[in-house]
Amino acid sequence: MYKALLCWRYLKTRYLAMACIISVMLGVATLIVVNSVMNGFSTKLREKLHTVLSDIVIESTGMEGFADPAGKMDMIRDDPFLGPKVAGMTASMEVFAILQFYYPSGDRATRPVRMIGIDEQTRGDIGGFKKHLILQKGKDTISFEPPPHVRDFFERQERQLIEKQARDALETADPNLPPPPAPPPSRVKVPCGAFVGNLIASYRMKRPTVGDDGKDYDEQYVLEQGHPIFLTTLSGGGDRMDPRNDRFIVVDFFKSEMSEYDSNYVYVPLSYLQKLRSMEDRVTSIQIKLHSYQDADVVAERLQRMFPGPLLRVSTWEQKQGPLLEAIKIEKGILNVLLFLIIAVAGFGILAIFSMIVTEKTRDIGILKALGAGNSGILKIFLGYGLSLGIVGAVFGTGLGITITVYLNEISDWLAARTGQKIFDPIVYYFDKIPTDLQPSMVALVNVGAVLIAVMFSVLPALRAARLHPVRALRYE
Amino acid sequence: MLLRAASLAKTYYKNKLAVPVLRGVDLDVDEGEFLSVIGASGSGKSTLLHLLGTLDKADSGTIHLDGRRIDNLPARDRDVLRNRTFGFIFQFYHLLPELTALENVLMPLMITYSTLGYWARRGALRKRAEAILDRVGLSHRLKHQPAELSGGEMQRAAIARALISQPRVLLADEPTGNLDTANGQQIMAVLRELNRNDGLTIVMVTHNLDLVHDTDRVVRIADGRIEPEAKIPAPTFDAVGAGK
Ligand SMILES: Nc1ncnc2c1ncn2[C@@H]1O[C@H](COP(=O)(O)OP(=O)(O)OP(=O)(O)O)[C@@H](O)[C@H]1O
Ligand SMILES: [Mg+2]
Repeated sequence: MYKALLCWRYLKTRYLAMACIISVMLGVATLIVVNSVMNGFSTKLREKLHTVLSDIVIESTGMEGFADPAGKMDMIRDDPFLGPKVAGMTASMEVFAILQFYYPSGDRATRPVRMIGIDEQTRGDIGGFKKHLILQKGKDTISFEPPPHVRDFFERQERQLIEKQARDALETADPNLPPPPAPPPSRVKVPCGAFVGNLIASYRMKRPTVGDDGKDYDEQYVLEQGHPIFLTTLSGGGDRMDPRNDRFIVVDFFKSEMSEYDSNYVYVPLSYLQKLRSMEDRVTSIQIKLHSYQDADVVAERLQRMFPGPLLRVSTWEQKQGPLLEAIKIEKGILNVLLFLIIAVAGFGILAIFSMIVTEKTRDIGILKALGAGNSGILKIFLGYGLSLGIVGAVFGTGLGITITVYLNEISDWLAARTGQKIFDPIVYYFDKIPTDLQPSMVALVNVGAVLIAVMFSVLPALRAARLHPVRALRYE
Repeated sequence: MLLRAASLAKTYYKNKLAVPVLRGVDLDVDEGEFLSVIGASGSGKSTLLHLLGTLDKADSGTIHLDGRRIDNLPARDRDVLRNRTFGFIFQFYHLLPELTALENVLMPLMITYSTLGYWARRGALRKRAEAILDRVGLSHRLKHQPAELSGGEMQRAAIARALISQPRVLLADEPTGNLDTANGQQIMAVLRELNRNDGLTIVMVTHNLDLVHDTDRVVRIADGRIEPEAKIPAPTFDAVGAGK
């Protein structure tokens, strides 16, 4: 009883104790904020990776792909074990290509891309692909078909171009030569649609100041809906590969906020790409979506047995992105060790302050012993004191940490506005906002850790207090 | 015979230099006796009192309480003895500064009982504390902290605290040493009254000879030994002795 009472009174009257509480509080708050941000980054990243990658991928190891994807998908669907676990499948073909288009200035842009043929019927639902299409977001199905106004726009542009070419030809033409061939047809052919990675089609212009939307950049599009692009790739069949190219029209932009994808991928219809490369009925991969991702490992193993050999490789998306995910995990681990060192520093602060308090309370300890308090009683007073300091600090720290985490972006914007120094640069990280993920288990762990450290560092001073000789303590001035 | 000390010896070591303080103290305290121990400063009066109350351990010698040897009991049993059988009062009151007078008085009981046990009888215990505080004349200062009390009031609170567990022996170390004459005399009156009316056994240590003339017995400690009987100063010196 007296232990609790004294503990409580010491807590209320010692301002030094505030220092302990504050150090625990700051440590806990820092740990919570940093972990939330780290978790936010990794969950967001995982989410992003996952949306583009699908749960399981069966891919060919070579560029020529494999035949009969429909048959293989039927085989999977009919398998008594795999069938019920699979939620959806889609085949696609991925190949390197060279993309060319004209900037508004008239300069030509040429860059390497990854050209992916996808099946519009089935791809949209796998890995949330359709959420990343800027213009078709929210639609039930995805489509490469240019909408009528895009079609009109393209035709107008095209006609103007053709007429201009004709005029140019007329002006530079030698009057002595026979007149040019018949005028171009009034109807132009609209090429096949394509989805272009958002970072291929646009670039970011830095604004001088942070705007109302919290961004300090504008997205400038150099490729708009309805603009033509040229893609050159290789044929697939046969012994000799030859270049194949075609014109496409931009119908949508793909924006996953993963710069690796957004600046490299161009999506076209699978059947069109197959024809272009003379690879009818061949694909390079089958993406599989599962009902529950928990089954991924067993399903992948089963699939690998179903399609053995060096030609096909089955992997879960985590396996595909293994090194990156592993790197994030290691980074988080190291950061946590460092941060716990910070709390340990706070722990040494507690040790010092506690020793001071024990010294200050020496006479009271003597008095308590004269009144019949045992060593264990004194020990418990100071351990309880450490525990309550830890708990109070942890509670306030949790409050502070959660508040900062929840308002992190507002705080960062406010600081940026105040100091003119950007704290979080979306251009660097390619997330619009600082992603945070507040996990209750992490908060609990941090709290338990902090309280344990507070108790651990109060053990030594508490032991010293308990061992004080009562007479010496009483004589202590 | 309530308390008997036999050939108690205690030597302190200061930088390897032996300072023998007690060299064979024999002392008997009868039940209901008001005994004063006088001696020069540094003669070892406090040391003796601490030994009697099991706060410290003697190098040699024995202490018996009711014929039972107590100086070699395990720490836990000595804690219990200090809690219930001995009451201490000190020159500097030694109240706990964070607690009110009432809480200070209740402290020995809080130590006696477990949290639950204390909680169950808190009403009765509180009444007991209030009654004792009333008896020492401090019923108007229950909620005051030591810093808000005068020296005399603090010593009254300390006496109340020493009495709350109904101890068999009250060990008082210069209880008036820090008080003016008037307050000192009031404290002495309280002690005398407790001794006379309740039959409380008191061992009081002092170097103020003015205080001892109406205690039952006086012994002097000198050279680390108890002298059989010290001269009790004549009461007539009292009037002039004010300027101690
Ligand atoms: N821890 C210690 N180490 C060394 N010497 C000590 C220690 N405690 C007490 N002493 C010495 O023991 C002697 C007796 O001390 P004690 O406090 O018992 O004397 P006292 O008679 O109570 O004196 P006073 O009347 O001034 O209170 C003193 O000379 C003191 O210096
Ligand atoms: Mg003394």
